[in-house]
Amino acid sequence: MTGQPMSSWIRAGLAAAATSIFLAAVGLIERFRDLNLVGEEVTFAGLVMAVVPFGVGYVLARPRIERGERREVPLPRAALVGAVAGIAAGLGFGAAAVAVDAFGVDRVRAVFLNVTEGLIELVTFGLPPVAGAGVLAVMSGALGALGGAYRRSPERWRRPLGTAVVAVLVLGFLQRIVPIALDQLNLERDWLYSRRTGGLTWPGAALAAVVAVLASVVKARLAERWRDLADRGGSEGAEPFGGLRLRTALFVAGLIGVAALPQVVGSVVSEVLGTVMVFALLGLGLNIVVGYAGLLDLGYVFFFATGAYTLALLTGATLNTFTGQAEPALSAELGFYLAIPIVIALAAATGLLIGAPVLRLRGDYLALVTLGLGEMVTVLVKSPWLTPLVGGPNGMRNVTDAALFGFGFRSPQHFYYLGLAFVLLALVVSHRLAASRIGRAWTAMREDEQIADAMGVNVVRYKLLAFAMGGAIGSLGGALFAVKIGSLTPASFEVIVSIQVLGLVILGGLGSLPGVVVGALVLVGLPGLLREFEEYRFLAYGAALVGIMALRPQGLVPNVRRMRELREEERAQDAWARASIAQEREDEEEYEEPPVEPAGGELRP
Amino acid sequence: MLEGRSVVRALALLAVLSLVAASCAGGDGGDAGGGGGDGAIDCATVEFGCVEVGPDDPINIGTLLVISGADATLGQDSQNGVRLAVDYLDGAFDGQDGTLLDHPVKLTNEDDLCSAEGGQAGATALAADPTIVAVIGTSCSSAALGVADTILSEKGILLFSPSNTNPALTAEGTHQPFYARTAHNDRIQGAIVAEFALNELGGKSAATIADESPYTQGLTAAFEVNFEAGGGTITGSEQINSEDTDFTSVLESLKAGDPDVLYFPVFVAACSLIIKQARDIMPDVELVTSDGCLSSDTLKNAGDAVNGVFASSPDISVFQGDPFYADEFVPAYKEAFGTAPISVFHAHAFDAANVLFDAIEQVAIRNDDGSLSIPRQALRDAVFATEGYDGVTGTITCTELGDCATDVTIGIFEAPGWPVEGGTDEPAVYSDTKSLDEVL
Amino acid sequence: MLGAVGGFAHGPHAEEGEPRSAAVTTTRVLAVRLRWYERVPWRRVVLVVLGVAIVAVVVVGTMKTLGLPEAQRYTGQNWINFVARGISQGAILAMIAIGYSLVYGILKMINFAHGEVFMAGAFSSLFFADAYARSGFLDRHPVAATLICVAVAVAASVLTAILLERLAYRPLRSAPRLVPLIAAVGASLFLQNAFRGFFGPQPRGYPRPQVLGGQLSILGVPFQRMQVLVFVVAALSIVALTFLVTRTKTGRSMRAVAEDREIASLMGIDVDRTIVVTFAIGGVFAGIAGVLYAMTFEQVQFTMGFRPGIAAFTAAVLGGIGSISGAALGGLLIGLLLNVGPALFLTGFGIPSPFSLRDAFVFLVLVLVLVFRPGGLLGTGEPEKV
Repeated sequence: MTGQPMSSWIRAGLAAAATSIFLAAVGLIERFRDLNLVGEEVTFAGLVMAVVPFGVGYVLARPRIERGERREVPLPRAALVGAVAGIAAGLGFGAAAVAVDAFGVDRVRAVFLNVTEGLIELVTFGLPPVAGAGVLAVMSGALGALGGAYRRSPERWRRPLGTAVVAVLVLGFLQRIVPIALDQLNLERDWLYSRRTGGLTWPGAALAAVVAVLASVVKARLAERWRDLADRGGSEGAEPFGGLRLRTALFVAGLIGVAALPQVVGSVVSEVLGTVMVFALLGLGLNIVVGYAGLLDLGYVFFFATGAYTLALLTGATLNTFTGQAEPALSAELGFYLAIPIVIALAAATGLLIGAPVLRLRGDYLALVTLGLGEMVTVLVKSPWLTPLVGGPNGMRNVTDAALFGFGFRSPQHFYYLGLAFVLLALVVSHRLAASRIGRAWTAMREDEQIADAMGVNVVRYKLLAFAMGGAIGSLGGALFAVKIGSLTPASFEVIVSIQVLGLVILGGLGSLPGVVVGALVLVGLPGLLREFEEYRFLAYGAALVGIMALRPQGLVPNVRRMRELREEERAQDAWARASIAQEREDEEEYEEPPVEPAGGELRP
Repeated sequence: MLEGRSVVRALALLAVLSLVAASCAGGDGGDAGGGGGDGAIDCATVEFGCVEVGPDDPINIGTLLVISGADATLGQDSQNGVRLAVDYLDGAFDGQDGTLLDHPVKLTNEDDLCSAEGGQAGATALAADPTIVAVIGTSCSSAALGVADTILSEKGILLFSPSNTNPALTAEGTHQPFYARTAHNDRIQGAIVAEFALNELGGKSAATIADESPYTQGLTAAFEVNFEAGGGTITGSEQINSEDTDFTSVLESLKAGDPDVLYFPVFVAACSLIIKQARDIMPDVELVTSDGCLSSDTLKNAGDAVNGVFASSPDISVFQGDPFYADEFVPAYKEAFGTAPISVFHAHAFDAANVLFDAIEQVAIRNDDGSLSIPRQALRDAVFATEGYDGVTGTITCTELGDCATDVTIGIFEAPGWPVEGGTDEPAVYSDTKSLDEVL
Repeated sequence: MLGAVGGFAHGPHAEEGEPRSAAVTTTRVLAVRLRWYERVPWRRVVLVVLGVAIVAVVVVGTMKTLGLPEAQRYTGQNWINFVARGISQGAILAMIAIGYSLVYGILKMINFAHGEVFMAGAFSSLFFADAYARSGFLDRHPVAATLICVAVAVAASVLTAILLERLAYRPLRSAPRLVPLIAAVGASLFLQNAFRGFFGPQPRGYPRPQVLGGQLSILGVPFQRMQVLVFVVAALSIVALTFLVTRTKTGRSMRAVAEDREIASLMGIDVDRTIVVTFAIGGVFAGIAGVLYAMTFEQVQFTMGFRPGIAAFTAAVLGGIGSISGAALGGLLIGLLLNVGPALFLTGFGIPSPFSLRDAFVFLVLVLVLVFRPGGLLGTGEPEKV
């Protein structure tokens, strides 16, 4: 793009201006003007206004691909491009502010709720609008240049600097979480967070930045040493031994870290992690259906609800909200560990039952049918018809806390361990499945159903198996959710759950187990920690889904085989490939591909 | 763009920082010190302990109200009430926050999202903060019932709601020991609406529409029980989905039972639609709704069809007649937030905060260094012992089950004379006061 | 369990008779000795049981409802009202369904965000309608005011549809089939929340000219004026669209691209442009439907696109996706089903609040159509697998 004329830079700048205007119109700027991240100077509103021009500079300075060669943009040129685009972005945004001011803020506000006097004042720095727009353009230009220059600065500067900024911002954003965690650990908090502004103190931010830079430098050094060692070892034989020892050590350290986590981070983060686990389970289930077997299910909430309500029916009660009397739903009152096998069996059976009639459908039809089934569950659980059974709108109560020898799992820190156990179990099962005959059959089916069929893979059997397995794991997520909250209301089982789970599986990378965990952490954990942005959560979700599909369909932590598939398709399809090649190259640097597994078993008739 | 590795790095950094902090804090050696100054309470042994407020620290009150999403006005309004109570600590609405026992009061605001999950996440966050003395909330019954009330009660933190009206919250068997509310119990509202429909409207038969929220379920149930007990018949009860737009078929099927009165205590969106559609389908039936629908949005959205629709609500005119409310509170509200009160429960929140402040004053132990120790159990007991407190919403006396609005005055308003912005603000066409003992 | 599952495998093979090499089949037959439970065509059994159960519920339910004692029975006027509402709602659904159908026909993708295109039109025109209502223009010149609202709605819907195509779908046009569908789900979520951010989460009243209120008597039967208007507008637009598609050059390009994109492009048809035009036409219909819907219910909200969107998609599938007359027929049937079905089929069973289950009806129909007749009523019997 940078090889192209100035008009394309300006166009990029104007696109950035449109982005800023959009963000301002949905309220992301004005509403958070008092959200201090560092001191009183760095606010969220300011950050949003700065990130857009910086980002456009950064993006424009990305390496270009010419005839398959990766060409870096020279630094001065990167800065120039960034500056031009940044000025265009600032002028566009400023012009909009001036126009609104001239037209009358109140008249605009009658339509666009978030366009307020305060917003215009913020955008034009409290100056007369035209002057303010000028200042905005200059500052945007500077930020754009900075963005371009940053992209092209040498790696050994870029990494530590980036780490420092990200670390400070993350700490700034976690201002409602970290201080409480520090309190719970009986640690002093005032040096890091100001009670007055709410955000980081400047000394705290500086310290955090220094620590981040040090950590980044140390990490780079270690990586270098590691490479040297590996090089000196030379032959393949030397490395595995040292590697194995180190890996074991890392693994044990990781295990201890995971086990100790809730004690360190306190109950608030543990609560969020509990939700993450529930969604990770749902993600692992859906991953089998979508990631392994390639069947798009938009109604996964069906299994979530099945699991939750089955457990509630077996162990809980419906509540008469009028008298407050609870009545055991099925008068079963089973314990959690007796109920769970029933939950799993029922979900698997339901998976088979609903799978049987619909599995012959083509992918996108299947998606819509499953969406319909999911919606039906939502409608049914709140209908007066089933109210006597599942409580209708009032939901169900007194779900077991899964007590084991008198040790209940309701509190966030305890629930973490229960969730962890189930997630690990599901991870192991998924991993084993992927490596088994069944997994290979799914892969074959996903890659080309007809060839797989012709090769003797019993397509319908494996599709049904995927539905049943996925449903069983997903229902565990539902059951855990019921344990976690202790009561159920139909509002928790809306279609948005299906979309969230699909989103996290896709964000992580279809078919990738670490991907599911990362996806759940990002799409569920992050919003849980940043609850003040709740209103914008689904806006970001939607944008993320579209963006991932366009830019990185393989996800954040791609499944290697799946990535290859997507790539092969890309190569076959020029238009799509062009956009992704640059990304792909970076991925290749990061992920080493294991040797291709020998295809065996059923794939060879 | 935030890269995956950066997140990991940042988290690692966080861990390092905590360790640094640990070594810094290690020097301090001790805690803020137990109370046990003048009272008989020993914080070290008493159940749930005490909240320790350092000499220069604020008294930290949590709020757990719905402040985002479609129901945000409900929670925002209550939050404004609490903020005004903090302002009024110095005896005047002057924009300057007052102090309580010489300590400033700080509000830690969490969002209940009007859902069980939101209630759980918010309550967990508040329960985790040892400086939280008590919590004003929740806005929505579903966030409290079995979720926030349980989580906070386990920690001995009082949850004091300005707007939960669901009967189950204070019913024997489900009431949690640290839960109380200044909002009315819907058993009373349902009973008074039923009485109005029977006696004033002369209705012999009624039909009801609820939606999928516990609020409307509780209210219609209370209405039905009392209406039938008063000699009326219920000809039909339907449940709708509040996101739907077409209720004509529902109304059509209710019309088949030929009711005199239609009671539909649903929320604004569905409510305005039902009003318009019911006017077409059953022009002769009296339409009655409740406070979930009593809003300036309904007046705007339903247009002329709304005229003549009755809506029940805590009788604001009771406290509107109160010179304090009309001459001091409302002007202060406008001054502070740039708008007239946006919902119904600001005064209940104001009262809840004040009852809470009084209780804190009663039980807090002042230590010699200026710090405070506030015993949690004693604070709860002091709130529950409130009797004859003269609040804006009326006289406040708490029962053992946490209902602090024991004698509730419910007014019925006839549109367009609703007591909201855009309404003509006429007095209630019917008003009655009942106590919990008098209703079913 | 697995053994039982295995039995399913043979159903579809037998049913579909897909071409496959004789060698493979023979090998399999020789290699596998079928046990009894594997010989049962489980899939077909499930389908037949399901079908019989549903027919039984419908028939018994109808008989029971009609046989209710006089006091509880619906009156004739009730039924007429149910049907009239069903038809008018169906007409709106048909107009939305056309958007799904056209895009599907040409791109073989489900534009999941089409419901939001409809919402965008209705919501954007609110501000004009509202201003006209306040100035009195709406009632003084109802035709002009309504036309301006429709024009604004159409412009907003078309713009949204084109932006969707350009930003979200075009980059993915040659990607695997599920990729654009996921992007469409994301776009739907994004659009809803963007409108919520712009205009707020509250429902907003949408004014309707007074002339459109009240009733109109046709052949002695009273209908709501709005319902009549909706039906007439929908019928006219569908006729116009049919003409456009079958008689004009644009229509021929659209059909050519739908048939085979590559060959069409070789024949000199600008494929990109044709696709944009298709999205734009879908947008036009969504915009008109948006205003009709808003004036019928006199209310708009950012979530208003989702449920009608699903119902309209179901209608498109029911009628036969890709077919304009199919969309019209499907819309009418779904509209009727939504408004008559719960009362007719469920009341007799004594199910409380039958209308609270009506969304489940839509999905049930969607599932059944796709299972039993994936090509739809007027469809070409397109094979389910590609």
